[in-house]
Amino acid sequence: MRKILLVLFAALIHFSSLAQQTGDTYSFEFKNIDKLKVIETIEASTPYHFYFEKEWLDADKNLISGSFKNVTITALLENIFNNTSLNFYVTKNKIILTQNNVIHEKLATNYFGGIKSDNTNKDPNDITGKPVFYQQYDSISKSSSIKNNNGIIFIGKETKTTEAKFCTITGTIIDVATGKPEPNIVIKVRNKNISTISDNDGKYSLKLPIGTNIIETRSLSHKKAVKTLIVYNNGELNISISENSNQLEEVFIKGKGSKALESVVSGVIAIDIEAIKNMPLILGERDILKVATTLPGIKTTGEGSAGFNVRGGKDDQNLFLLDNAVLYNPQHFLGFFSSINPYVAKKATIYKASIPTDLGGRLSSVFDITTKNGNPEKISGEGAIGPITSNLSVGVPLEKNKSSILFGGRATYSDWVLKSLKNDDLSNSQASFYDGIVKYNNALNKNNSLESTLYYSHDKFSLSSDSIYSYSNRLASIKWDHSFDTRNKAAVILTNSEYKFDIDFNTTPNKSFVSGYKLNETQLLLKFNYLYSDKHKFQYGLTSKLYNVYPGFLTPSSPDSSLKPIKINQEKGLESAFYVSDDYKINNKLSLDLGLRYSLYASLGESDQRIYQPNEPLNDATVVQTKHYGNNEVITTYGTFEPRIAARYLLTEDLSIKAGYDKTSQYIHLLSSNVTQSPTDTWVLSNLNIKPQTAQQASIGLFKNFDNNLYEVSIETYYKKSKNILDYKVGAQVNLNEHVETELLQGDGKAYGIEFLIKKQFGRLNGWLGYTYSRTFIKLDSQFNEEKVNNGNYFPANYDKPHDISAILNYKFTKRYSFSSNFVYQTGRPITYPIGTYAYNNANYTLYSDRNAFRIPDYYRLDVGINIEGNHKIKKLAHSFWNISVYNVLGRSNPYSIYFVTDGNGQVKAYKTSIFSIPVPSITYNFKF
Amino acid sequence: MKFKTTYRYFFLLLLFCYIFNSCTEPYILETNTYEEALVVEATITNELKKQEITLTKTSRFEDKGTQIESGAKVFITDNTGTRYDFKEESGKYISTTEFQAIPGKEYRLNINTSDGRTFESSVEKLTNINPMQNVTATVEPKDSLRGVAIRVHSFDPNNQSKYYRYEYEETYKIVTPKWSPTKAILNNNGTVSFVPNRTDIKICYGSKKSTEILLENTNIQNEDRVNFLVRFVSNQNYIITTRYSILVKQYVESLAAFNYYKTLKKISSSGSILSPTQPGILLGNIKAVSNPNSKIIGYFDVASVSTERIYFNYNDLFPNEPAPPYYTDCVEFCYANCFTFPVGQCPCTHDDKPGVQEDLAIDAVRYFIENGRTFWVYTPCGDCTTFASNVKPPFWID
Repeated sequence: MRKILLVLFAALIHFSSLAQQTGDTYSFEFKNIDKLKVIETIEASTPYHFYFEKEWLDADKNLISGSFKNVTITALLENIFNNTSLNFYVTKNKIILTQNNVIHEKLATNYFGGIKSDNTNKDPNDITGKPVFYQQYDSISKSSSIKNNNGIIFIGKETKTTEAKFCTITGTIIDVATGKPEPNIVIKVRNKNISTISDNDGKYSLKLPIGTNIIETRSLSHKKAVKTLIVYNNGELNISISENSNQLEEVFIKGKGSKALESVVSGVIAIDIEAIKNMPLILGERDILKVATTLPGIKTTGEGSAGFNVRGGKDDQNLFLLDNAVLYNPQHFLGFFSSINPYVAKKATIYKASIPTDLGGRLSSVFDITTKNGNPEKISGEGAIGPITSNLSVGVPLEKNKSSILFGGRATYSDWVLKSLKNDDLSNSQASFYDGIVKYNNALNKNNSLESTLYYSHDKFSLSSDSIYSYSNRLASIKWDHSFDTRNKAAVILTNSEYKFDIDFNTTPNKSFVSGYKLNETQLLLKFNYLYSDKHKFQYGLTSKLYNVYPGFLTPSSPDSSLKPIKINQEKGLESAFYVSDDYKINNKLSLDLGLRYSLYASLGESDQRIYQPNEPLNDATVVQTKHYGNNEVITTYGTFEPRIAARYLLTEDLSIKAGYDKTSQYIHLLSSNVTQSPTDTWVLSNLNIKPQTAQQASIGLFKNFDNNLYEVSIETYYKKSKNILDYKVGAQVNLNEHVETELLQGDGKAYGIEFLIKKQFGRLNGWLGYTYSRTFIKLDSQFNEEKVNNGNYFPANYDKPHDISAILNYKFTKRYSFSSNFVYQTGRPITYPIGTYAYNNANYTLYSDRNAFRIPDYYRLDVGINIEGNHKIKKLAHSFWNISVYNVLGRSNPYSIYFVTDGNGQVKAYKTSIFSIPVPSITYNFKF
Repeated sequence: MKFKTTYRYFFLLLLFCYIFNSCTEPYILETNTYEEALVVEATITNELKKQEITLTKTSRFEDKGTQIESGAKVFITDNTGTRYDFKEESGKYISTTEFQAIPGKEYRLNINTSDGRTFESSVEKLTNINPMQNVTATVEPKDSLRGVAIRVHSFDPNNQSKYYRYEYEETYKIVTPKWSPTKAILNNNGTVSFVPNRTDIKICYGSKKSTEILLENTNIQNEDRVNFLVRFVSNQNYIITTRYSILVKQYVESLAAFNYYKTLKKISSSGSILSPTQPGILLGNIKAVSNPNSKIIGYFDVASVSTERIYFNYNDLFPNEPAPPYYTDCVEFCYANCFTFPVGQCPCTHDDKPGVQEDLAIDAVRYFIENGRTFWVYTPCGDCTTFASNVKPPFWID
């Protein structure tokens, strides 16, 4: 390297004093001699002297033969060095040989930066006519400060008259450890819009502009390899890459970067499952949904509550998708655990706003959870042993690097322990759950791939000895991805989900019964992507979903029971939608995401629908007639235009402003007359008397990255209005009620808030801090007393918690030891408070305040955890780590609920229930093989 | 094996921490934003009598007793133009004439309070008239107890009644177990003298009204048949020791009234720990006419009623079985300084200091003599009037 530079330097210094002698002619006769010999012969019989590196000639073993008569020295040398990578330069009586590059007599006119003015409108890849200089590489490498230990690689031989603008580089990507070719490695040219992917044999072909190119490989499985090329002509380059042993963490760091800043939509949260590894655990369970609640805008009503409230939305307004299929109850054991096995989940994307147009059917949010594929190369797995549950996931390749299958399972052993207890109360209690998943994927060929998921979860519990509750989720999905060409892609998705619960109520023989509920939905989704141009990317599609709801039955357990069997007729509905959206990049700064979804819901027979007197409250007394609809007869239809618009403007490279407007609609509603969601709440479809809910949300946000994306800061604010939100008359009886509309109220909702989030992405100390100020109100007004709450004024919803602070901090002491903590503070939720007493019917009763006029004490909690990684020996059976954590370190007795009882003496007493009122330690052993 | 036990113990500990660590503690109530509301109890029945309505006020938690809303003008109107006025009498509003609700007529309650608030009810009709068949008392087990189950049996062949509400009033005879013809009294100078005891404290009658809202509905059953456990008295309850009587009232309710009572009952109980009920102000069928923000509690109920009284003796139901324990422990005791006795041989459980004089001064003990030895018992054992009435109720049949 140094020698080359010296030679070049020497040549340049002498430029000014040189004058070319081209007139003299010479004659030579060569017969199968090597080039060194040729040079020696020329030097002996001419005044010319050669300057060169001997090894250049050693490399070329071609022998020279031929007879040259009265040729100039230039013509002679051209003949000799044709078909080699050597160039020559004749100056006075010196001949300088160079490898690859040409020595130019003059500097190009644009050498010192004239490029700027006349190149702005040109394709940056087009550098035709510009000669390539070595120093050019030097200056580039300095300015972009790339630490590069790889030498410069010269491709092809420079010709003085380069005609081709682009040269083709071909080669093979080889894994350095195995020596085998690696497919699916992306080769990208830095700062240019050129990339390719290695084929199944590891071969690639890349069209590069001549001149300096920095190419790099990108792959999830391998370390990045960077090569600096000076391209003169077509050539070959094999690249060796080495496997990335620590790939996932790497991806986590790189994957984020300025993504949040640059994406067009706001209100979107991506949770990387691997990244939550270090968080303190609750009962030793790693839980995606619990992590979600530490981010601004996502709340639960309280500990042990199964529902989520996203930006002032009700519990039932969230769409949980597991590999595209709807998961109706994402929680185990009344919300203490999430029913998604963390070891099979890959990623969770939560849309608090800007719900993509291909998704719909819920007002407030989408939790889009995708699972991992099995390891396509070798059998591998992960698992954990905790105090309450254990889980295991195993990936098995079926066809190497093509198809694989992943199994995941989790179960609790609490039931076994309860059963073995001597205490009657406890041994009659039950609390058990399990879930399992199978995921199959097959990369059929370049243009087609297939994925399929099967999932089942089951819960069984009894809180008193006379009733057993059980509920289960079952879902299946299959997805076929197809590329028509590089611009057109399609996906066909078919899903089916079922949610059901059963109650086995067992007291006296004549009052015992079995009761249940079941919901089944089947969806077909056709999605198309059309890459029209760099500026427009279109997505369009069609979806249709058929609901079958079996609203409930009650069967007496014994034949001599006094109970009458109940069976409420099946409900049916068809929810369809078509959508189109354009990801429109106006310029580098301004991007729009323009989407429109039109949803159409049809309530279908067979059904008997009541028609009530207009302008009267819906109750048994105001029924005018009951109308019968035949099977699949359309009872009524509702349609909603749902525009989804988002815009992003980059103020500077690390500061962007985003705004969005969405409309959403919902045709299926959860009936839950309790404050918190419970597994025995039932879903009901919109029909003649239950209108669909709709919501509109406008949001605006500022996103700023600091310190090379090390810190990410965002402020988002939103205002949301909803219509026909479901609520209940006081004392509503919604279970097994054939005419449930007589118990329901539909009111207006409004919510607004501001969310602040600061994140430190990586480094020894990392984590995030979120603060939200938000309010949520509901209005239930009517001209009738029985349909009015709080005199028809807006009142705070059950889940209105204005101040919410969450902080997650991780600190890595060494590679093996890390500490993590999680702090949460929330304003206490509203409560209807007893404000006095009154005597009625010889007993004392409590006088309550207006609904939700008071609040329970504030909630705060600190959890800490320590992760201890196993040793870092390369050869061992399994990688493992221990997680020791303490939940609620401060021992704060956070009220879960406050309730009031009129006791036997007519006295009103208040009680506070807390679920985890003491610090709860847990220890979990995690392993990976 | 050792490991298994240790593990199980560890696991149990965790489970208790986790799942059963839902800790419940009393919570202090605040009443800094107390709002007063009018409470109306108005059930008009098909029984021909002077109908009663009570008007009270809500009170703060710390207040004792209930305040009457007095000076109000209360009247009921019907759709034929008849007006029934009510007059305030000893804390109640009683109709000036006897009347009964007639099927098919529409009634409306009107209240004008002395401070100018005006309330009126919606229009109500008398519910279906369906008297109960009978009330029975049988010995039954219930929740590991044995006792007397008082059941109401009713049947409506037309399937019209469906919604029932019950009230009861129980009355029982009490015989003082350790009455003595002689009574010890404390003289002003601190000495104790014996006088002849009263004889009218040997037999008493206790009485209690139901406080719980008792509801039953048959609309999920095949037929409108009621077999409702209205009261259960354990065989360990002293009230059935001698003779017991219960008066059961059955009201047939409208669906709206039934729902009102059901909700009232629901919001006064705790519900399940994990799913508490949503409380709130229960709006009945009475509303403020002048100012919609004036709160009113209560339901104007026009319901058909039927009543039945039954009696039983303890020996009829529990022949040859030992009687339940008395109201209070009636073991005789004596006062002595036990230092003078060898350890374990002191016959007296009560120390002579503070002694019998002081207990007599507060009427805590009564004199009793057995086998010539002087003993003392707690006062209720010698005098039932300390907790019941010695006036025989007019309806009582021995």
